Amino acid sequence: MSIPDYMQCAEDHQTVLVVVQPVGIVPEDEFFRIYKRITSVAQVSIRDSQRNLYIRYRHHYLPENNEWGDFQTHRKVVGLISVTTCGSAKEWPQTSDRFHCQKDVFGATLYDSRLLVFGLQGEIAEQQRTDVAFYPSYDDCPDVEKRVEDFVESIFIVLESKRLDRATDKSGDKIPLLCVPFEKKDFVGLDTDSRHYKKCCQGRMRKHVGDLCLQAGMLQDALVHYHMAVELLRSVNDFLWLGAALEGLCSASVIFHYPGGTAGKASGREPSLSLMSFFPSPLSLSPPSGALTANGISADTSSEIGRAKNCLGPEDIIEKYKESISYYGKYKNAGVIELEACVKAVRVLAIQKRVMEASEFLQNAVYINLGQLSEEEKIQRYSILSELYHLIGFHRKSAFFKRVAAMQCVAPTIPEPGWRACYKLLLETLPGYSLCLDPKDFSKGSHRGWAAVQVRLLHELVYASRRMGNPGLSVRHLSFLLQTMLDLLSDQEKKEVTQSLENYTSKCPGGMEVLTLPDGLKLPPVPLSKLPIVRSVKLLDLPVSLRPHKQKGLLENNLSSKSPFIYSPIIMHTRGEERTKKIEFRWVQGDVCEVQLMVYNPMPFELRVEHMGLLTSGVEFEALPAALSLPAESGLYPVTLVGVPRTAGNININGYHTSVFGVTSDCLLDGLPSVRTSGCVVEVIPSLPRLQLSTSLPRSAHPLRPSKEELSSSVSVQLFNGETQQLTITLENIGSEDLETLEVTSKTCNTKEKLFGEFLSWDLEEAVSQLPLKPGQSVTLTVNVKVRLDFSGGENLLQDLNDDGISVTGLPISSPLRQVLKPRAETKALGSESSKTDYNHVKTLEAVMTFKYSGGAGKVEGYYRHLSLGVHVDVEPSVFFTRVSTLPATRTRQCHLLLDVFNSTEHELMVSANNNQDLVLHPSECQRMAIQVAKFDFHTLPQPDQEAVRYTNPKLLEEERLHAQASMISSTLGITWNIISFDGEASVEGVLNQLVLEHLQLAPLQWDVVVNGKPCDCDIIADCKVGDAVPLEVKLTNRSKNAVGPFALTVVPFQDYQNGVQNYDLQDAVTFIGSNTFYIDTVKPTENSVCMGALLFLYTGDFYLNIKFQDDSAGQGKELPPSWFGLPSVHIKALEVRPLSEHH
Amino acid sequence: MLTRLKTQVPLFSMNSYTKLGEKLKLSGLSLASTHSHVIRLGRHNSKMAVCIAVIAKENYPLFIRSVPVQNELKFHYTVHTSLDVVEEKISAVGKAMADQRELYLGLLYPTEDYKVYGYVTNSKVKFVIVVDSSNTSLRDNEIRSMFRKLHNSFTDVMCNPFYNPGDTIQSKAFDSIVSAMMVQAS
Repeated sequence: MSIPDYMQCAEDHQTVLVVVQPVGIVPEDEFFRIYKRITSVAQVSIRDSQRNLYIRYRHHYLPENNEWGDFQTHRKVVGLISVTTCGSAKEWPQTSDRFHCQKDVFGATLYDSRLLVFGLQGEIAEQQRTDVAFYPSYDDCPDVEKRVEDFVESIFIVLESKRLDRATDKSGDKIPLLCVPFEKKDFVGLDTDSRHYKKCCQGRMRKHVGDLCLQAGMLQDALVHYHMAVELLRSVNDFLWLGAALEGLCSASVIFHYPGGTAGKASGREPSLSLMSFFPSPLSLSPPSGALTANGISADTSSEIGRAKNCLGPEDIIEKYKESISYYGKYKNAGVIELEACVKAVRVLAIQKRVMEASEFLQNAVYINLGQLSEEEKIQRYSILSELYHLIGFHRKSAFFKRVAAMQCVAPTIPEPGWRACYKLLLETLPGYSLCLDPKDFSKGSHRGWAAVQVRLLHELVYASRRMGNPGLSVRHLSFLLQTMLDLLSDQEKKEVTQSLENYTSKCPGGMEVLTLPDGLKLPPVPLSKLPIVRSVKLLDLPVSLRPHKQKGLLENNLSSKSPFIYSPIIMHTRGEERTKKIEFRWVQGDVCEVQLMVYNPMPFELRVEHMGLLTSGVEFEALPAALSLPAESGLYPVTLVGVPRTAGNININGYHTSVFGVTSDCLLDGLPSVRTSGCVVEVIPSLPRLQLSTSLPRSAHPLRPSKEELSSSVSVQLFNGETQQLTITLENIGSEDLETLEVTSKTCNTKEKLFGEFLSWDLEEAVSQLPLKPGQSVTLTVNVKVRLDFSGGENLLQDLNDDGISVTGLPISSPLRQVLKPRAETKALGSESSKTDYNHVKTLEAVMTFKYSGGAGKVEGYYRHLSLGVHVDVEPSVFFTRVSTLPATRTRQCHLLLDVFNSTEHELMVSANNNQDLVLHPSECQRMAIQVAKFDFHTLPQPDQEAVRYTNPKLLEEERLHAQASMISSTLGITWNIISFDGEASVEGVLNQLVLEHLQLAPLQWDVVVNGKPCDCDIIADCKVGDAVPLEVKLTNRSKNAVGPFALTVVPFQDYQNGVQNYDLQDAVTFIGSNTFYIDTVKPTENSVCMGALLFLYTGDFYLNIKFQDDSAGQGKELPPSWFGLPSVHIKALEVRPLSEHH
Repeated sequence: MLTRLKTQVPLFSMNSYTKLGEKLKLSGLSLASTHSHVIRLGRHNSKMAVCIAVIAKENYPLFIRSVPVQNELKFHYTVHTSLDVVEEKISAVGKAMADQRELYLGLLYPTEDYKVYGYVTNSKVKFVIVVDSSNTSLRDNEIRSMFRKLHNSFTDVMCNPFYNPGDTIQSKAFDSIVSAMMVQAS
């Protein structure tokens, strides 16, 4: 007996052994179908008696094991069921012979046998035989179970008779000595008459009867017999049989205490059995649980009491097992019995949950030597040890033995190594090493397990799967090893592992599919998220010029309706939301979008990552994969992944895709808690056109200084103040959508400088008329750049240039155009360079032109794009006015504007103005220029409407008014300068002060003097005839806002001799008709008043009339400014009335 | 109990594994012998341990050192499987009187070559000492004192503010204590 049945358990002692075997050629599957049906009859309750018979079936049983049948009767084959196929009656005799041969194998021990014949029909099949049953086919055999039950009953009858036979013949005849095979020779020549021998025989027989009682379902009797046997055998030191008797006692007690059985769940053992089928091994099937039914015990109460007395307690069972095993241990040939006893004891202890003791039994079982074991037997033994350790909850031990079994499968002594079995066993060890092949599980848990053994196990899995011829599995396991154990591998190991990974992937590239093993185990994909390690994911906005903007009017209410509060200091988002948080900016369909990853390479060598792309959802997305090469143990390295969204909607960046060492991985961000991200959802809007801008001016090297907004491009140009430059802008549609709308706006920035007039002006009409612009087409736009800045700030420095003290008085100066060129100014300017540069500095003017455009589907959604062009102009001073003053002109409605013009350029320039002669200025020369201008009537300027007035700052309003006045003056003057080819305008706006303005303004009281029906002014000479009455009319028009007057005007005539003498004594020459004083009553605003008088000249000559003004309203109101009373002096030439005198 | 029964020829003479290991090594993967190699060491200094391990509460090694360095993996397996017994012993006692539990667990299990002793701190950190089973002169008290020393040294390691609980122990002081207890590799 060399092959132990590891499946045995204590309750097997009460079973009878039946062998079921095929005879002749029986298809295996058919046989096992029948076998299965037969084995379903595992427990038969016997009529008349309330006992149960339990049957253990085997389809394979070694005859040498059968020889131990006397030692323990459950090892004895008592029944044989043969299954055979018989096609015709001709074959029948042969089949029958075979059956008898088979019977002879177990012949000595058999109680009964049956032959099941399939396929035979006809005459032979008709005959009724108890030992043979005929069935037409394997499918048509309805009463197999019934047949088996009958068979079992017949076995029972034999068993019962044997039991009774043995139990009763205790006295009288000589009791035969039962012995085990290896004892037989020991008893040769022994004294059979000795007391010792007799006791030995008695004891062994008692034990045998006990076995039979147990099998026959008489537990009580069995216990009694066992007790007696133990006593008898102990007295004669028959240790082997004493052990057997003790074990029988234990078995019976176990059956009593644990009616559920000790074998555990049959299903739990099934996988290992199927595994074992790889090697030929005895297939064991233990009886189903419930071995002892309730009615079996409660048959009679008296036996119940007796049982309790004879039965061992749970503690005792183990003690007796120990004793029994120690006795078995004395015999080398009883190794199998000992081993099986150990296994049985362990199962009992597992039920009792006495784990430590169980482990000691197992520890002992490990050391039991069964002589030379075949490799299969070794595997079987390790497997069963593993299972038993598993049973008692020693998972690590269990895994250890399973692994040993796996290694045994591929031992070099085996001619055909069972790599498949090895691999399968290795997989089963995974839980014992707290390893799970799902990387998600691994990254989640804080449990780390025993890394050293885990790494080893993974290596073995890799190797076994490779030898199995499944490189896909190897790749998967290696990936897992790399992914989960990376931190634990040394640099050398990392190199080795990656090298072998590359080797395997060259045969079978690794992917993201779930690998399913033949037995249904699924190997989840292993994304290599640590090669490289990604630290952060950041979605990037489009470049400035491509960013879409929402039309203001269409802006939906962005306030989230989540909270009823407009503002709450409590931020409601959690960490989880962060990832799904929507990002402020938008992407555009059809435009390349970017995501920046910060990655690093943890490997000690260069890492090549191929096909790195984005994984997205929500929107059709065309990822454009990148390949990168990261240096060994690189620091954080930015990687930009790009792609093009092909449809509109919300896009979610779920993760990224890589291909490293031939393994493609989809790394989802959800599974990578260490990755920082500021949101992964972004809105993709429908496509928009794209414009490219080019200009005629060179690109600016320096960006605009206060560049709050980012610019698409910028140009720079250098201009003299007042100069105008044309800028041609070409806009080309480089997108795929039609350009439908285009708007241009501009904004001047850094307005510290005072700017006059429009800086940038353009006409969009022509460009707009070309819309819609097809892709590839372009449109041009001409922009006028005009700089008019105030450079007059340096006037203080030029104080000495105009310190001639020209005052603004009402006195007429006969020679208004006076050159005030002063040579000393030149010398001074040359002498002090510093002061020159001070007012020679270059000013900068910057503006941003914005081109808003839209088209295509994006326009429908209300989106537009804008390009912004920065215009940077360095303005060099050209001419400026250091000082301005006025002189009254000869006419009251006019005046002279005196401008000190300074040429700050290094070139000779020419200044010209409307109605004036040109003035040539040398570099750094200052000249005074006088321009006669008609006084301005600012009332004609458009008045700001009342609404605007009410809501604007009065100061601002005033400024605006001044500005309007100044620009009116400036445009009237039309001062231009010219340097060879350049020309530009010069503006006086900056230098005009309040006083000058007042002088340039028409007085609100307008006086008109009409002599002889002819309006008079300073330089007009009115003719009249001596002796004629000359009518004089003075008309006052009040244009001021208040009523004026009353006034008194006195007309005083005088003669100017042109030598400084004025003769007022003219009573003889001129006489007034009526009063020489006019009284003007109060004149209301916008009204006028006319005074009439007349003069009579008595002599010829040049007369002047001085109209003196006398304010009669003194004391009633405020003084009116004297300039309001600018009455013209009247020059009258009295002529002789020649025809009349001739007439005289 | 059962060990007294008999000591038969060891079943686990795993020469075959060693060969397998060599075979695997040739193919690029090193698969060392997995089980008891019969290398009897430390005869000359038999009072010492051959392997000392510190295992975290979560059952992963914080520290492991063995004398035949070339066959360290074997001890990894030995110590790893001993955890079954440790856990069993803790849970068996733990229910009844967790407070009075003795830290010293005694002999965990004997293998044919070694004896494995265990010790569990109150924070469930385990110490395992493996000694040569041929070493009969070693008394239980000596094992206890070794564990006590080990525990004291471990406490010092834990007191180091720069030590992160759960990390592998790299303290030199601890290392020297362990070295003193171990058989010097000859």
